[in-house]
Parts: sequence; structure tokens; C-alpha cells
Amino acid sequence: MSSDRSRAEGPADGDDASAEAPGETTPAAVRERLDRVTDPELDTSIVELDYVEEIRITAAADGDGDAVFVAFTLPTAWCSPAFAWMMAGDARDEVASLPTVADVDVELREHMHEREINRGINEGLPFGEAFPDADGDVAPVRAELDRKARIARQHDATGALLDAGLTGDQIAALTPEDVRFDETTDGTVPVWVRDGAVAVAVAVDPLVRYREKAAATGLLDDDHDELFRTPEGDPIDPDDFEVVRQRTRLAGVNMGGQGTVCDALNDARHAEDRPPLSTFSD
Amino acid sequence: MYVTDEGEELFVIDSHLHLWDASEENVTHEGGEQFIQCFYDYHTGFTPEDKQWSLEEYRKYGADRMAQDLFGNAAVDMGIFQPTYLRDFYADGFNTIEDNAELAERYPERFVLNGRFDPRDGEEGMRELERQKEEYDIQGVKLYTAEWNGDSKGWRLDSEEAFEFLDKCAELGIENIHPHKGPTIRPLNRDAFDVADVDDAATSFPELNFVVEHVGLPRLDDFCWIAAQEPNVYGGLAVAAPLAVHRPRKFGEIMGELLFWLGEDRLLFGSDYALWNPDWLVETFMDAELTDEQKDEYGVEFGVDTKRKILGENAAELYDIDIEAKKEEFRSDTLTQEFGLADHYAGGTSATPADD
Repeated sequence: MSSDRSRAEGPADGDDASAEAPGETTPAAVRERLDRVTDPELDTSIVELDYVEEIRITAAADGDGDAVFVAFTLPTAWCSPAFAWMMAGDARDEVASLPTVADVDVELREHMHEREINRGINEGLPFGEAFPDADGDVAPVRAELDRKARIARQHDATGALLDAGLTGDQIAALTPEDVRFDETTDGTVPVWVRDGAVAVAVAVDPLVRYREKAAATGLLDDDHDELFRTPEGDPIDPDDFEVVRQRTRLAGVNMGGQGTVCDALNDARHAEDRPPLSTFSD
Repeated sequence: MYVTDEGEELFVIDSHLHLWDASEENVTHEGGEQFIQCFYDYHTGFTPEDKQWSLEEYRKYGADRMAQDLFGNAAVDMGIFQPTYLRDFYADGFNTIEDNAELAERYPERFVLNGRFDPRDGEEGMRELERQKEEYDIQGVKLYTAEWNGDSKGWRLDSEEAFEFLDKCAELGIENIHPHKGPTIRPLNRDAFDVADVDDAATSFPELNFVVEHVGLPRLDDFCWIAAQEPNVYGGLAVAAPLAVHRPRKFGEIMGELLFWLGEDRLLFGSDYALWNPDWLVETFMDAELTDEQKDEYGVEFGVDTKRKILGENAAELYDIDIEAKKEEFRSDTLTQEFGLADHYAGGTSATPADD
């Protein structure tokens, strides 16, 4: 139900946008970088979620490289400041990683803490300095959201393995070495079972996505060899495989449910007939 | 009452109501203005277009309109008020027990009035809780763990201070604890509505019931896992229910999970009025079904019997409401006379649908 509202996409005066010559920054390249930034609660790209409102590219002030301006709006002004901070910071880092970009300016719009976030992100401040009232950093929140994203992605990955014919026992026993990502062909990856006696072709995308979050949450370099874990990060007792699978399903349903709420708020916020909301003044 | 095409009656207890005041005169902090604006986006985001209110109506609607919206069209039989103070944002509070009492005292047989506490208020808060019990005979409290209070931006249900208040609740016979666990807003760097604190509180106070409002969305996963292990944890469906309007499939998934992990005896319907009007919401809830695929996946029923429990019987159980006695009483109470509902309660369980 993505709304039909029009979204401005820069650069505003057009000339730089059409330039595709090597060594220049294009809106498509910026967008591709932003596509890697996720709403951490929904584990979905901010581009896909339609948060990005404007991309503008100009020459950097010192003439060496480009300056990129990115503006985005979240579904509600009340969106968690910690989540908003992560998205703004990730957007800045992703765009800054383009070799032709010298400066990045990120603007979060219509948020209850837009001033603190925009200043903090663009001046490279730590969260605690941007928000003197906060009693800690955002790292624990990010770790928790990464953990949830890992669990939801595990559901898709184990679903692909079940579809390919593996049993719960076999899945619980898999190690990272059993999945041969270097031998991926035609969208499938060989997964070795029965002590390496048989390889089964499994859809690779869900496994790649899972591996990414398993790595981010430290599951690939801890003391256990098992590829898949319980939500708490422990190896799966084969007798509990089913209940772990049900819990991972729940993580995905939760994200989807919240995504639905955010989507509805986003549409309501941008609806053409939305009444002008009064601005508070002391 | 809701009456099905087959003539089956479902007694509706709306377990999540507010009589709020977000008029511009009452707002004292930018947060208060943003709060009502965010509510209004929830309202328009999920309300069918022809049922939407204007923002001005929404800010302050008053007791008369509320009575009309709940009972005038006979969608609701009884309601439970859940106060939300937010005194740091609103001069007279957003939705206080006194605000709610305005209507509850007019129709005492129709309403349950819940109170609230804030463990950061210490001794004074303890006395206030006693006053609420004495003055309004409250059986439940709505708790807002992310509410601001001076320098503090929130508190936890498993803290020592909170446990002192829960002890007091148990002592006073305030059995139903409704922590609000909804969308993450404040405080700044943390997840203000983390549901993990419910776990320890529920284990420590088996004599109390913990109704997690908004079923923890967006922490449905943590909530269900806790509730699966703690028999005194319940789920309030306010905010989840409207998903049935535009996203019936998503609603089916959420109901499937809730019925799978908690079962049909531990879920309570709530409109969250005035976020949403109960008339169309009850209708939508009754019409909602699980897809065949969802029935297979979850192995649960979401038919009339389950809906009857969720719409009223489960709340009646928690609040000691005798539904049959209430139906009898409602044939002639003030409200029935005022809104001309005598026919509505004339039937009884053997009633057949009118054939005219």
C-alpha cells in the first residue's frame, strides 16, 4: 500500500544528475548505498521503506569531490531517537564510503529530536554528547535489534533448508563449513550433510542474509561450531528444534506486524488531506 | 452486544478506554503536542475513511460524545478505563482517573475504573494509590513505564521500588496490572517498552494478573515467549485489533501467534478509544478470519467461541463481572433508558434474530 505521494529526488537543478561520467557521484550510486541502511527495528532498507525524501549532489566546498545532501523522514515524529540516530549515522557512513564523495550532510526531518540528531550526526558526536539527558550509548539497543534480525533471518534460512529436504536434526548440527558459499551456482549453494557424504542444493539468498546477521551478533566466532542457535544464542537441542523454529517464526511476524504499523503511520503522515498540525509554542 | 447473523449474542467489554484532554490549552510541552499528533496518525492510518474524526474533535471530545460512541450504537456493553497521566506534557494530565470518573460515576454499572501508580513518587505515590482504592475501589492499574517524571525518563516493573507498589496492590486487592508496552518512543537511548521486566514481576507476584497492553507490539516475540511460561500474563489487543481493517492477513498472523502461545483465555479486546471507535472495530474483529494456510500453520481456532472470550468473557473473569446478571441489569439501567436500548437486552440466550 505504498502511497502515491510524490517524493522529490535531487539534485534540485538537474544538471549534475545526468552526469554519469566516472569519478562523479550519481543519485543512483547514492541510492544504492542508502539501500544498505536498514530500519533496525524492521530489518528492511530505508529506501524500500520510502523514508528517503531527497538526494542532492553538488561540488564540495573545497572543490575536491562531491558534497551529498540526504534528507529522510520516519513514519512518526515519535520514532525512537536511538533508532533514528542509527539510521542517520548509517546513512552518513554509507554515502561517505563512495570514493567520489568528500562531504555528507544528513537531515532527519519532522522528528521530535531532529535538532539533536542532525547536529550530532553531522558533527560526528557520540550519542551521549548529542543527548546529554541520555543515560548511555545506543550500542546495546543496536545489539538487541541485530539479535532479533538474526532470529527472523534464521527462520527463512532454516525454512529453505527444510524445503530442500534436510531434517531438523541435520539443521541443528550444521556448522558454517558445511555450507559451501564459494561453490554457489544458479542461486543455490551446496550444503553438506551426513558427515560430508551428501551435498544438497539449497536456495542461497536466505543463507547469505542469515550469515550476515549471525556474524554481526558474534555467533560465527564464539566457542560453538553450530551455524544455527536458539534465540538466546545456544546450540539447538534436536528435541527442541520445532519450538526454536516456532520462536524464530514469531520474530518475523513481530517485525512484519510492526512494519505494518509503521507503514500505516507513514501513509497517514504524508496523506494529502492530512490537516495541518499545530506547532507547540511556549 | 454483538449479535451474529445466527442470533448468537456476544457481550462486549472494551478493556481499553480513555477520556482524554489534548486541547491546546492543556498542552504544556512539545512532547504533549507530538503525542496527540502521533495518536492522530494512528487514528487516520487505521480508521476507514468515512469514520475518521477531525483533529479538533480528537483533541477533546468529552463525556457525552464518548457515551454516545460506546453505547449509542450498542457496540459496547461495558468498558474499562485506563488512565494515562503524562503530567510532564499536559497541565491537568492527559487522561486521569478523575477525568475518567466523570463518565464512570454517571454510569457506574457500565464502567470499571482503573487507577495508576508511579514508583518514583515514593511515599506520596503510595498514599495516592490508597486514595484511589478508597475513593474509586479500583481493581486494576494502568502503568506507563516510559512516562517522564522530573529527571527520570522511565522505570522498570522489576525494580525494587516497583515491587513495593506491587506488594501494596496485592495487599489492597488491586489484582489487574496493565503495563503499557507499545511502540518504542522514549527514553532516549533505551527501549522504553522492553517487556522483559514483566517476566520477573509476573513470577514474583503469582496472585496478580499482568495484562500487557498492545501485546507488546513491536515486541510480540518477547511477549509471547514470556506469556507462554507465565500463566498470569495476558495480552491486551488495543492497537493490534485495527490491523484487521487494512491488513487482514497480517492481523491473522498476529492472532495466530497469540492463540498459539497464550491460548484463547488470555486475550482481551480493547479499542483504545478514542484512538479508534469500537463500533466498526468490533465489526471488523468479528469478520476477521484466519486463512487456511494460517490455520494449518498455527493449528488454532478463531471462530465465534474464541471471539466471545476475547471480546468479553476473559475481561469479565479478571474483573469478576457476572455477564448474565449484567445483561439482566442492563434491560433497564439509566444508560439503556437514555439510549433506548431496552430491545437490545430483551433477548437472552435463546433469542432468535428478528425476522422483520
